[in-house]
Amino acid sequence: MSTKEQQERIELLQGTLDLLILRTLQLGPLHGHAIAKAIEFRSDEVLQVEQGSLYPALHRLIKRNWISVEAGTSENNRRAKFYALTAKGRKQLSVETNKWEKLAAAIAQVLKPARQEER
Amino acid sequence: MTRRKKMLQQLDNDIREHIEHETQDNIDRGMTPEEAHYAALRKFGNVARVKEQTHEVWMITWLEQLWQDVRFGVRALRRSPSLTVAAVLAIALGVGINVGIFSVLNGLALRLLPIPRANEILSVNQVLRFRGKGLRYINNNSGYFSWSEYRDYRDHNHVFSGVAAYQPYVEATLAGSNPRSILGAAASCNYFDVLQESPALGRGFGADDCAAAGANAVVVVSDAMWRNQLGADRALIGKAIVLNRVHYTVLGIARPGFTGTEPIPSAFWVPVTMSAVLEPDEKRLANDNMSWLAMLGRLRPQVSPEQVRADLDVIAQRINQQYSGRTTSLSIHTARYLSSPEERQFLIPVSSVILAAFGLVLLIACANVTNLLLARASVRQKEIALRLSLGAGRGRLVRQLLTESLLLSMAGGILGSIIACWSFMRLTGFITSHLPGDFPPISINATPDLHVLFYALLLTFCTGIAFGLVPALQSTRPNLNSSMHGDGAAVGGKRRRRFLLKALVGAQVAVCMVLLMAAGLLLRGLYYAQTVDPGFEIKGVATTLLNLSHQGYDAPRATQFMTRYVEVLSAIPGVTDVARAECAPLAHDFSGDHFTLQGSSEQIPIEYNHVTPSYFSLTGIPIVRGRNFTAAETHDASGVIVTESTARRLWPGQDPLGQTLRETSGHVRTVIGIARDAQVAHLGDSTSNYLYYPFGPEDNARSYVLVRYAASFNDVSNGMRTAALSIDPNLSVDVTRLEDYLEVWRAPSRLVAWLSSTLGGLALLLCSIGVYGMVSYSVSRSVREIGIRLALGADKGAVVRLVLWQSMRPVLIGGIVGIVLCAAVSSVLSSMMFGVGAHDPIAFVAVPCFLLGVALLATLIPARRAMDVDPAVALRCE
Repeated sequence: MSTKEQQERIELLQGTLDLLILRTLQLGPLHGHAIAKAIEFRSDEVLQVEQGSLYPALHRLIKRNWISVEAGTSENNRRAKFYALTAKGRKQLSVETNKWEKLAAAIAQVLKPARQEER
Repeated sequence: MTRRKKMLQQLDNDIREHIEHETQDNIDRGMTPEEAHYAALRKFGNVARVKEQTHEVWMITWLEQLWQDVRFGVRALRRSPSLTVAAVLAIALGVGINVGIFSVLNGLALRLLPIPRANEILSVNQVLRFRGKGLRYINNNSGYFSWSEYRDYRDHNHVFSGVAAYQPYVEATLAGSNPRSILGAAASCNYFDVLQESPALGRGFGADDCAAAGANAVVVVSDAMWRNQLGADRALIGKAIVLNRVHYTVLGIARPGFTGTEPIPSAFWVPVTMSAVLEPDEKRLANDNMSWLAMLGRLRPQVSPEQVRADLDVIAQRINQQYSGRTTSLSIHTARYLSSPEERQFLIPVSSVILAAFGLVLLIACANVTNLLLARASVRQKEIALRLSLGAGRGRLVRQLLTESLLLSMAGGILGSIIACWSFMRLTGFITSHLPGDFPPISINATPDLHVLFYALLLTFCTGIAFGLVPALQSTRPNLNSSMHGDGAAVGGKRRRRFLLKALVGAQVAVCMVLLMAAGLLLRGLYYAQTVDPGFEIKGVATTLLNLSHQGYDAPRATQFMTRYVEVLSAIPGVTDVARAECAPLAHDFSGDHFTLQGSSEQIPIEYNHVTPSYFSLTGIPIVRGRNFTAAETHDASGVIVTESTARRLWPGQDPLGQTLRETSGHVRTVIGIARDAQVAHLGDSTSNYLYYPFGPEDNARSYVLVRYAASFNDVSNGMRTAALSIDPNLSVDVTRLEDYLEVWRAPSRLVAWLSSTLGGLALLLCSIGVYGMVSYSVSRSVREIGIRLALGADKGAVVRLVLWQSMRPVLIGGIVGIVLCAAVSSVLSSMMFGVGAHDPIAFVAVPCFLLGVALLATLIPARRAMDVDPAVALRCE
């Protein structure tokens, strides 16, 4: 792994993994490995999920009834567990997305002058 | 819970799947399989940690917090070891004695019978009621059944796989070089089959052993009898032993743990059809209206209690129809020792009183621990105030403090229970084997079981909450400002706490007073029982009960034997007088009937005795008016002798001689003599109605022989035994002093007095520690106040008086409450125990004085410390 690569890859902020999982599942039910792949792919491989940390997060979401689990067959004909968004999870996703956007905007607002001053 | 477990199990699978997916992806990208696998693992991260984190998602928070609290509690308790040890010991003592006594009661009344699958065995008892006048013969227990009733239930029920019946406590004489009297049972021939008890050697009864009445002289003997009396001879099977002079073939030897289905172990079992052979004069088998057989049924699988009741009720109704005005209600329980309604009626109040008394000691122990915790709470106040002000919820803090007290109570409870179970098992064995000779050897299995465990847990838990709740609520009362200052001597919270302390001490004193008073009353009763003068000459008399019908005699042979025996006895050197009676004085053996006076229909209950003429001279009870019986008078003679009190009560102001009494049977008796009052029937009671009939040949089957002697008791008793054996070498003769009968009255008093004194002593100890603790605490908290008083010129005596008054006030109030409570309790006690006066003045004065004295002593020690306070130091110290 080159140095450049390491700089470009960003570790996830605490709590944002939940949001990303919910967003990913909005497209349809997926199994664990596919969720990890999807997050990496959709963020142009900038966001690196430590794949193991996906599981505590998934179970946290199950416990809160935001996602559900069902058995299914993966693309290469393996038995796998598919996670799907529940109605409650869908609602939560829009709440969390809103919150995130506000947060991101606010942080961007605060950081903007700094970038201009730098120039 | 199961959903959660399954999910966590599947996690392993999921992770494996995930890594395989990733590996496959990597292979697709062109890695070698090995490389691909390691790359996938690297990307996944630490598998163990992931599992742990996922698991934590499902952990219940309160459980985690409990664990936190437990760890914190252990640390906190370890920081104050002296408090912890004191509290644990107090609780161990309190819980221990309670668990111990419960394990004894459990062995007596809650434990299932010691047989295979005992939970299927139901004990059936009947309660008979009659409209108007009803007649029922009762042997042992009114809840038992007659032989025909038993067969009815056995043959016509649809709910039991088998129904067995037995007559418990059958006395028989085992012949041998030293004939002895043993207790056994006459059992139906399916007894061993229904109980699923197969004898260790040989076999139990078969159906043909009960084929005909009196035809099958076979016996199964208990392991204890086989070992102790029959020499543990393995070749005994098929040989004969002699019971009541009849040869019985030994069929089998019971399993060592099986001692029958009653608390008093059975030494042998004979077929119930042999009843008439064993006791020739009793015709029980033929009497359809006699309660004499206990009934046990083994439940069929999947039969509910309601079905049993419904099914048996049908049979009961059918039997009712044979007797006019009779209604039967059945009482059906899982079989245990002492499970008949009659026995429970006695057992339940007695055990409640016992458990309550023991519970009171636990209560005092709880109060002591509460005191300790309250005192410590003031030390921890800063810590708790800090946590409260940092935002800890009060509920959370209370929970944490309660966890701490539960830890204390668990430690104490476990320690106490272990010691108790260990020591009470031995203690019970010791007590039951050292009871006076007249007491049957009860077998109490006091080993702990699930009941005991549950009781111990419940008690421990309640104890923890009981002593922990008040301090926990008290010390988390949000009063941050003053507590943070660490001072607050004059603040309301402090006053409330002191009030709590005093209230606790008052309650302790009250409870302790009740226990001590009870002990005092019982000790007085015991003293009275030891020194009582029964009103007749009890010393220098030897007596033996000859129950010839239990030894296989019929009436003519009994008369023959007794005539001969009295002749021989009179010739023994040292014997000055021989008398015979149906009941020996104070032998715990009573007869009674209802009588009517001439011209009245009132039924008067009168106890009576059949005596020979020499009875009065031998016991030193003079005939004060009229005449004694003559030797020629028997049951047919119409004359009776009444006591002075009876005469006064029945014919006030009249001459009792010549008055008549009508028996229930219709016979009319005339009073021919008046005897001096004496406590011949009940110790401590000489004035109840009592009359004497002349002795007759009918009494020979069972009578007491009284011998007044002027030599050594041993010589006379040996003489009496040898005399009997010279006539019949197979007779069992047991000679005792007449005064030994007092022992039967004294033993329960002694046992109860001993028990209650021990409890009272423990209560006193705990209580004085409580008083001492309270006073020391309040002295140490008011050092500054004392210092100021001293500095302002108060003299030391005044300070001590103040401290004494302040601390004795709760003691006095508690004491008065205790006396009032005890006045209520004492009437219950006096009705249960002999010789206990409900308002015995000595107990009611001496015990409070004693308790106050001890409390004063406990107060004086810390009060003297108050006197030594140096004002200068005191003012600086806070």
